Amino acid sequence: MRLSPENPRPAEPEIETAHAQEFVEQLRCVADSLPSRINIDAQGVEQGLAKLVLTLIEFIRRLLEKQAVRRMEGGDLSPEQIEELGLALMRLEAKLQELKAQFGLEDEDLNLDLGPIGRLI
Amino acid sequence: MKLYVYCLVEGGVGLPRDVQGVGGATVRLLSGETLSLLVSDFALDAVPVSRENVLQHAAVVQSVLASTTPLPFRFGTLVTEQQLRSYVDAKYEALKAKLEQVSGCVEMSVKIILDREWIEEPATNIGHEKPGTAFLSEKRRELLGGEARLEEAKRVAEWLEGQMREVVREIQISKNPTDKLILATAHLVERDRLKYYRTLINEARQQRPELHFLVSGPWAPYSFANIDLEFKTQFGVS
Repeated sequence: MRLSPENPRPAEPEIETAHAQEFVEQLRCVADSLPSRINIDAQGVEQGLAKLVLTLIEFIRRLLEKQAVRRMEGGDLSPEQIEELGLALMRLEAKLQELKAQFGLEDEDLNLDLGPIGRLI
Repeated sequence: MKLYVYCLVEGGVGLPRDVQGVGGATVRLLSGETLSLLVSDFALDAVPVSRENVLQHAAVVQSVLASTTPLPFRFGTLVTEQQLRSYVDAKYEALKAKLEQVSGCVEMSVKIILDREWIEEPATNIGHEKPGTAFLSEKRRELLGGEARLEEAKRVAEWLEGQMREVVREIQISKNPTDKLILATAHLVERDRLKYYRTLINEARQQRPELHFLVSGPWAPYSFANIDLEFKTQFGVS
């Protein structure tokens, strides 16, 4: 559709908010979590692969946590079982933190953009 | 030499003046019968993601928006001219339909922050529980907080949609991009209704002062184009 009196030229883009600093902080979080391209070179391939594998582990870890919480709420676990499950998940989380640090990855790095479906985590 | 692709426009649209492409390159029009593409030559195999390059890409797309509604390509799209022409030939009908869908419109972006505590229950037993049990209790509280936040995001999204329905042609919604940012929405708005759109947004703001709004635009319809994905699927271009 061409420009005409019925379809006027839009104004220059504007940004309106009374809370600029708040939005800068939040949008910085979103930008940090955007997936960067994986460079297939000798240096980058190891970190790219680690990022992919750790993202999948993180996804499964979160599923396990949710399932454990649901089972705890459902009342079908004894206090001993809850403690044991909690300790196992706690150690898994600690181990994952360790691996992330080893490969220089942050929490925000562990995600995958699945296109139209959205993000994995 | 590859081509950097900015956007697709209907045929016959003029080349914008005084606008530089990515890397300072000259922007030119690759014309077809009814569709044209804004491109520039690019010597490297990949486009460095820098502030300058991103702004130059946006400036080219924005300069076309002054006269028509373009379908923007994703930042960093590089192809050969032959690939580009094959792509347009193969997807001609779909691209034409997509262009028609956004014709005469611009994109307005609305982001909403709701700054409040989402953990529903106080952690009363911390200190008395064993470590494993305390860990799971904390996870339970986080999970409940996340669910409450998502529910609130859904309510706000429905409310905003209701407020803007009469002036918005299409909506794209992302709920909970971050803990505080509960909603990121893109509205496809007809150009001649922009003033009324702003009036309705201001009314919405006044109705819900606890919600912090960021409204930006008018932009090219980036959220409604989605041609980069098809392009990537066909040629493996990223």
